[in-house]
Amino acid sequence: MSGRSPALVLNKVGAIDLNRPGVGALLGMTACLFLFVYVLGTASAAGAETDGEVAARKIAFDLAGAFTNDGFKMRDGHWCGTIKPHEPALIAVNLYAGNQYWFSVGAIDPAKKIAVNLYDENGKQVTTENYNAGEKAAAGFSPTGSGQYFVSVDLVEGAASSFCLVYSYK
Amino acid sequence: MFPMRRSLSATLLLVLPVALAADVPRLSRDQLAKAVRSDSISIPTPGELFAALEKPGKPNWSGQYRAPIPMTYRNRAQIALNLGGLIADGFIAVEAKDSQQVKNIGSDIIKLAKALGVSEHLLSRGNSINEFAENDEWDVLQEELEATQNEVKSSMQTHSDQDLVILVSVGGWIRGTQVVSAAIMQNYDERSAKLLRQPALISFIHSKLDDISPGLRAEPLVKGVNEQLVGIEKLVSFPAAKAPSVDEVRKVNEAVGKVMEAIQNKTDAK
Repeated sequence: MSGRSPALVLNKVGAIDLNRPGVGALLGMTACLFLFVYVLGTASAAGAETDGEVAARKIAFDLAGAFTNDGFKMRDGHWCGTIKPHEPALIAVNLYAGNQYWFSVGAIDPAKKIAVNLYDENGKQVTTENYNAGEKAAAGFSPTGSGQYFVSVDLVEGAASSFCLVYSYK
Repeated sequence: MFPMRRSLSATLLLVLPVALAADVPRLSRDQLAKAVRSDSISIPTPGELFAALEKPGKPNWSGQYRAPIPMTYRNRAQIALNLGGLIADGFIAVEAKDSQQVKNIGSDIIKLAKALGVSEHLLSRGNSINEFAENDEWDVLQEELEATQNEVKSSMQTHSDQDLVILVSVGGWIRGTQVVSAAIMQNYDERSAKLLRQPALISFIHSKLDDISPGLRAEPLVKGVNEQLVGIEKLVSFPAAKAPSVDEVRKVNEAVGKVMEAIQNKTDAK
């Protein structure tokens, strides 16, 4: 299973770390070790996934790995599926006030650009800190109220593709 | 000119929020109802709950330990529920940075997992938990506990025990809520009390329990837990802006405590 390839994960996490301000090599290594343990742990729990979903999951992990340098813990769980134009994927999550969250999503070709948005339990969009880079995107959020929220993954450019969502908290 | 400008400003102040509110994208009820809900991402881990509880101030984690539970349950549903509770206990020990307690709980988790026949890969997890505990690697330990829980669930799915997966999550949520409500009662703080608001989560757990096989659902313990959740759902369904009072927190604690007692009660096992 490609999700078990720690060497590839280590290289990619290192590359992301270098692009983040104030992140040293030591922190990068910590993230790498963490991600190594994490990927080994989740690979077996992933169940049957398509190759596209596995590839998308790896992109999502790589992106989420960068947040571990800021003290975020990656939740050992993920959601993979398919996004289509004008058909955002919507996933319910339950969040706690006081925590900070990052929702990281990876997609694969032919998706060219994706976006992540968050909605409260009444369906109203909440303000998030956003990161977008083509086939990967993330939304950061600090809820003031505990309860149910909805993560929306939108295909902004490109055609239907596999995607994977992971989240981190601190 | 000045009064006119003032009047224009006043009009803008009145109109702008309305205009902005109208511009905020919204999802329809139908869209919300169709959203994916999954055990692996929609049910928070005890670690997430405990992380939020720590924000106003570190609770007395070791004060939340409970006496060791029996390891000789025969009922598979009861084992699954207790496994979830034990994993939550593991998170508490990690928060307390108590390596011996982590090792004890890690060993109990493996014993219960063995009783369900899902222990092969978990033995190495048990060794890792011991090693990380000895080296005080608390962050990694938390991830290891989550991974252990997922591995138990994954193994259950492989062994056609899919119905037991939700019971592990339920056990973890109940034990986590018992600990958090107890900690809030000991040191009441409105911000922490608001963490108990999780009506959608219980509603989801209910729907999952309604999906399990009729045989398992009819088992006295599972039936009892499902019935008790109805009352608990009401207790944690307060408005988002309102913090429950100490008395309301106590009611939550008593309700989840009652369920936890039934879960760990050896005489209930069949």
